Amino acid sequence: PPPHPDSSPTQDQYESGYQHYSKPFPNLSQLSAALGGLSGVPELEQEALTPINLMHERNLLPPRPLEAPEPNLNGDLKKVNCSPQTFRCTLTSIPQTQALLNKARLPLGLLLHPFRDLQQLPVITSNTIVRCRSCRTYINPFVTFLDQRRWKCNLCYRVNDVPDEFMYNPVTRSYGEPHKRPEVQNATVEFIASSDYMLRPPQPSVYLFVLDVCHNAVEAGYLKYFCESLLENLDKLPGDTRTRVGFLTFDSTIHFYNLQEGLSQPQMLVVSDIDDVFIPSHDSLMVNLKESRELVQDLLTSLPAMFSQTKETHSALGPALQAAFKLMSPTGGRITIFQTQLPTLGAGLLQSREDPNQRSSTKGVQHLGPATDFYKKLALDCSGQQIGVDLFLLSSQYADLASLACISKYSAGSIFYYPSFHYIQNPAQLEKFQKDLERYLTRKIGFEAVMRIRCTKGLSIHTFHGNFFVRSTDLLSLANVNPDSAFAVQMSIDDSLADSSLACFQAALLYTSNKGKRRIRVHTLCLPVVNQLSDVYAGADVQAITCLLANMAIDRSISSSLSDARDALVNAVVDMVTSYKSNVSNMHQSGIVVPSSMCLFPLYILALLKQKALRTGTSTRLDERVFAMCEFKTQPLEQMMQMVHPDLYRLDNMSDQGALHLNDTVVPQPHLLHLAAERLTKDGAFLMDCGNVFYLWIGKCCNEVFIRDVLGCSNYASIPPNMSHIPELETTLSERVRAFLDWLQDNRAFSSTLHVLKDDAAGKASILQHLVEDKSESASSYVEFLEQVQLQISN
Amino acid sequence: EFIQQNEDRDGVRFSWNLWPSSRLEATRLVAPVSCLFTPLKERPDLPPVQYEPVLCSRANCKAVLNPLCQVDFRAKIWACNFCFQRNPFPPSYAGISEVNQPAELMPQFSTIEYIVQRGQPTPLIFLYVVDTCLEEEDLQALKESLQMSLSLLPPNALVGLITFGRMVQVHELSCEGIAKSYVFRGTKDLSAKQIQEMLGLSKPAASGQQGRPLAPQDSAASCRFLQPVHRVDMNLTDLLGELQRDPWPVPQGKRPLRSTGVALSVAVGLLEGTFPNTGARVMLFIGGPPTQGPGNVVGDELKTPIRSWHDIQKDNARHLKKATKYHEALANRAAVNGHSIDIYACALDQTGLLEMKCLSNLTGGHIVMGDSFNTSLFKQTFQRVFSKDYNGDFRMAFGGVMEVKTSRELKICGAIGPCVSLNSKGSCVSETEMGIGGTSQWKVCSLTPSTTLGLYFEVVNQHNAPVPQGGRGAIQFVTQYQHSNTQRRIRVTTIARNWADAQSQIQHIESSFDQEAAAVLMARLGVFRAESEEGPDVLRWLDRQLIRLCQKFGQFNKDDPSSFKLSESLSLYPQFMFHLRRSPFLQVFNNSPDESSYYRHHFVRQDLTQSLIMMQPILYSYSFHGPPEPVLLDSSSILPDRILLMDTFFQLVIYHGETIAQWRKAGYQELTEYENFKQLLQAPLDDAQEILQTRFPMPRYVDTEHGGSQARFLLSKVNPSQTHNNLYAWGQETGSPILTDDVSLQVFMDHLKKLAVSSSA
Ligand SMILES: [Zn+2]
Ligand SMILES: [Zn+2]
Repeated sequence: PPPHPDSSPTQDQYESGYQHYSKPFPNLSQLSAALGGLSGVPELEQEALTPINLMHERNLLPPRPLEAPEPNLNGDLKKVNCSPQTFRCTLTSIPQTQALLNKARLPLGLLLHPFRDLQQLPVITSNTIVRCRSCRTYINPFVTFLDQRRWKCNLCYRVNDVPDEFMYNPVTRSYGEPHKRPEVQNATVEFIASSDYMLRPPQPSVYLFVLDVCHNAVEAGYLKYFCESLLENLDKLPGDTRTRVGFLTFDSTIHFYNLQEGLSQPQMLVVSDIDDVFIPSHDSLMVNLKESRELVQDLLTSLPAMFSQTKETHSALGPALQAAFKLMSPTGGRITIFQTQLPTLGAGLLQSREDPNQRSSTKGVQHLGPATDFYKKLALDCSGQQIGVDLFLLSSQYADLASLACISKYSAGSIFYYPSFHYIQNPAQLEKFQKDLERYLTRKIGFEAVMRIRCTKGLSIHTFHGNFFVRSTDLLSLANVNPDSAFAVQMSIDDSLADSSLACFQAALLYTSNKGKRRIRVHTLCLPVVNQLSDVYAGADVQAITCLLANMAIDRSISSSLSDARDALVNAVVDMVTSYKSNVSNMHQSGIVVPSSMCLFPLYILALLKQKALRTGTSTRLDERVFAMCEFKTQPLEQMMQMVHPDLYRLDNMSDQGALHLNDTVVPQPHLLHLAAERLTKDGAFLMDCGNVFYLWIGKCCNEVFIRDVLGCSNYASIPPNMSHIPELETTLSERVRAFLDWLQDNRAFSSTLHVLKDDAAGKASILQHLVEDKSESASSYVEFLEQVQLQISN
Repeated sequence: EFIQQNEDRDGVRFSWNLWPSSRLEATRLVAPVSCLFTPLKERPDLPPVQYEPVLCSRANCKAVLNPLCQVDFRAKIWACNFCFQRNPFPPSYAGISEVNQPAELMPQFSTIEYIVQRGQPTPLIFLYVVDTCLEEEDLQALKESLQMSLSLLPPNALVGLITFGRMVQVHELSCEGIAKSYVFRGTKDLSAKQIQEMLGLSKPAASGQQGRPLAPQDSAASCRFLQPVHRVDMNLTDLLGELQRDPWPVPQGKRPLRSTGVALSVAVGLLEGTFPNTGARVMLFIGGPPTQGPGNVVGDELKTPIRSWHDIQKDNARHLKKATKYHEALANRAAVNGHSIDIYACALDQTGLLEMKCLSNLTGGHIVMGDSFNTSLFKQTFQRVFSKDYNGDFRMAFGGVMEVKTSRELKICGAIGPCVSLNSKGSCVSETEMGIGGTSQWKVCSLTPSTTLGLYFEVVNQHNAPVPQGGRGAIQFVTQYQHSNTQRRIRVTTIARNWADAQSQIQHIESSFDQEAAAVLMARLGVFRAESEEGPDVLRWLDRQLIRLCQKFGQFNKDDPSSFKLSESLSLYPQFMFHLRRSPFLQVFNNSPDESSYYRHHFVRQDLTQSLIMMQPILYSYSFHGPPEPVLLDSSSILPDRILLMDTFFQLVIYHGETIAQWRKAGYQELTEYENFKQLLQAPLDDAQEILQTRFPMPRYVDTEHGGSQARFLLSKVNPSQTHNNLYAWGQETGSPILTDDVSLQVFMDHLKKLAVSSSA
């Protein structure tokens, strides 16, 4: 099914989900106390530790996309543990000491996707939310009940009383089974919070749209599509009867819109004094959507034409943002900016810093950081008033995203970028923009949020990655929280974890729902603690490691330099291989030997180095590079891995072998192919799934049956350029292809666009950059990369 | 008769109609040679001519050819009667002869009007500047009045709208589907250049140089705020209909924040940038004082009241000087560009007219003051702004420039009226300044047919160089203006008066004295002085002038007051001065500073008749004893069986005597047998109605009776001939005592006589 915009389940859904875990209380807690990780399932571990010599082994890819490794836990703990889509650790077996961690030469950290859309979520309304009196941890499946009246905190080990109310189980309507409470049966739960969790009455949903209407914006033509999309989705904006909306447009001046109920038409108020921005009217600029709905519709209908004749080329983005901040300060909420060029007037004006001749430099890349602290400061002010700022940049020219992005980075916003956006000349971008907008406007949102991450005593957080404001060592301020943003956390081991066989992590997200309720979403992850290096390697999560390293590399390229960041990534491979060789593997064969769990590590690192964010020597626009960097910091792991290392399938010879049968649909499961040009044979049709985009590449000599049955074209030559949809043909092949595509699509939040590519220059250009195993003009092939690594090891 | 004829034809009333032939004699006459001049006096009998006036070719003269010029028809040459330059006629006059004279040479065309083709005709411009900090009822009434006014404007007139409260909004009128306005902060003093840039009328240069005006193809932009009425009246009607009260909350104990100063600055800046030197009317509607930003006259704390005369006297009016200076600067900018500013102030409390009056006084704009926009006083008065004349043209003209030329024996000292100096120094400009002097040209940005200036002259002929017997002095008034039908016109009035030797012909001179004109002209001087001098000083000055005049022309034996006599031509003059002294133009303490400003504003622009009513109100008496009759403005006229109608110009008071009031209360007028009583009651109402229908501004109408609280309007005006001080001396049978310490006319005259005859004076 498609992702639900609001997947907070009803009580009914919860109850059915709950029945799953009705195990008697002593078993679970005894097990968790007695059994740690080590006596888990040896087979899996053996498999993960199988040494592989990468110099010999070429077919490394699993037949189907790699899944998160399962922590080596006892079955009951495993069952109840947090979903890896929500909470993932780079090492599913936590080293007992920092020394052991250092020895492994692998990073320790968490990858979190705390607000992702869920099909099913236990929601708990209770007077007392049970938490550890010492460390404020929420009670969770991994605590220990010493008896019916006492529980021991799994993070700080304090013994707490079980409150009376907790003795009653609302689900079974019985007393005396605290371990059957949903809080103890689910690693992800949501509490309806009492007024103790409010500093003020929960805010309504408030949305302010700030729209660039200068000449450049009108040329690009986004406004019409924005207005259409918002009109279409007006009823789906998350919120209730209190929902408020407002609009600002700007060029060299700022335009406010009085939409007060009762007016016969919207009133536009122009403020030209951009050096001293002020709010021109009281109480009528942010209006109740329900009451002023007709005016909002009128405005959205009129807006596109209103500026069609404009000759204004200047952009006073900074002052417009100051105005937006003033408008939103009393309530908090979400500001959405649409910007199409470099801001040229007023506070926050920027100059072009990009030298096009340096785009393919192999030396350092300049200007990855902001040119001014204006946007950061304003973002922090916004964050302080519970305002999140999201940026849609639709620019064909350099717009200094490195500076602009700060407005979203520090206010927990999202950043979208559509380079070379033009409503006629670039239909692909337009389609993506429309799809993104629909998702954006209707996706769930949480307001005035904070997220705290707690972990077992001995572990500590030292760095956060993502868009937020760090309020204290373990607390993030998130003015807005959305279901598509992820966070990464680097950890260290301060004290030995020898006392415990388990390490736990708990992320608690306190937010105001779009229905004006304070809610706390709590995720708890439990992992075994190990004292053997081999166990650490056996539990290594190569994708999580790649993602965390990517985040670290982005930081490093800004704080130090791009080449440092790249070196560090290569060194990560060298170090890991060296450490494994000297400490674990007993084989003395030549080549690069890694444990099976890490066999894709060098490939992933090579892919990282070829990404827009980190590559050198290939012409890369500065804004596109910066945007790719922003994506690395905020995208959930699956999406990021799809981008870094897309999935490649051959479609023309798919069989039903191993296919999924969902309802009446047969979904084929073709095998993954290595990302190398040699795999794209001329007689085949291939699908490359890059996450946001699907490429369907048709070889020159592709089977005409496929072309006819799937694309509906008579032959290869008649495949039109810019084909972006697959017709609904009633052939088996077409049904299979579409079932597979739909299935892929359904498993992600954003709609992906599809491009049918032919085996020609244009088609190759799109796909080549993703063939990471191949040599390119400026970067080495996989084999060459391995050779370089080997060379470094032997040195 | 001569005087009346002159007034009807030329709109001129001189203090003296024979002029003393030397400087020394002139100063001895006390009252200066001066006149009231109504430049655009309605002349239905005077069709304008369709050609350009012929000018004297001497560069510093340029007088217009007139009936006083000597003409040599054969040589086709005319001699200028001001500089004696001999000028050839232009070729188009080739056909003239003694029997074929152009109009301007005929004596009956001493006043003539030319229609000239100069430049493009520009439409009239009306810019409404509307305060939105009004009570709902007031705002509604004002909106309706404004909507109604759109139908009264000439269809091609340009109209604009600025509204203000805490913020100032300039409304764009050309947009469809969405109302658009530019908003200014009400607290920020912006330069004209900044305002024009912010309105998009000029582009700020990229690197901080001078703003450049928009390229021609962008000039449509400048019109977004000023659109032809016929094109936008629907839009504007809707816009006005949607106008809301200022949305910002006003906390308890505070006044609304009213940014009048910035609103005016934006209005002036907008017109400056779009239509310089074009007739335009800024119409400001306010329901309270400016409380924030530049030009504010009071703060927003209600506990601090707006300044009173008392505060001003004690130098305790915090904002007065700054606010006045601010508005004066704006007024001067508007005047330079020929834009006039009206103020329509409707509120129970003061609205800051004292500080803002210069906006109208310097630009020829109207000031109208009322209690509420929801009164017929405002509604009718406002409608009357758009009244039309016999031709169907609006009774308003714009961009007037009035120039005075004098023959050599005379110089011009100054003017008093709704004008500003154009600083045109010429040979006929006197060193002595009276009123606004030092120039021979004044700008009158807006004129009506009744706009009247006081002009003051000086005889410069030396005593030892007397003017030949029978010689005449001449004055020419040349008024260029934009007619309401957008034509440029020039009206030329040339008048002449005989010179008289003051020693041999003093009786002639005395009998040529126009005491009504002289009284008004002296009063204008007094009011002009009162704007800058302390009240008592002005009164002393007026008294001194009066005593000197009486000494000069009275017949008396030294030190014998009872022998004092004035001839008929001066007999009423002291009485005018008596009432002037008591009038609100000079007595401020019974009025608020706003009221004083308001009264003075009207006094220095109305024609002679209206001015006289203002100085000395008219009282009519209605009774069964005969037809209505004018009676003395005296307490002795207040009788139980009379109805009185008093016209003070600003008020119309109907007062029912004690007996009449009792009868009325008893309802006799309802009974058929008392039809005559009903008619008696009706008569003053009808007469009042007639005045109410025509006067601008419409007077306040008061219907009261003996003992009524509003009877004070009457009692404060009549001469207190019977007060509680002398009641017993006067007996009982007639009149009503006035409770006042003011001196009566009798006492005043006694003093005057004593001083006039005193040998020590
Ligand atoms: Zn604890
Ligand atoms: Zn001359």
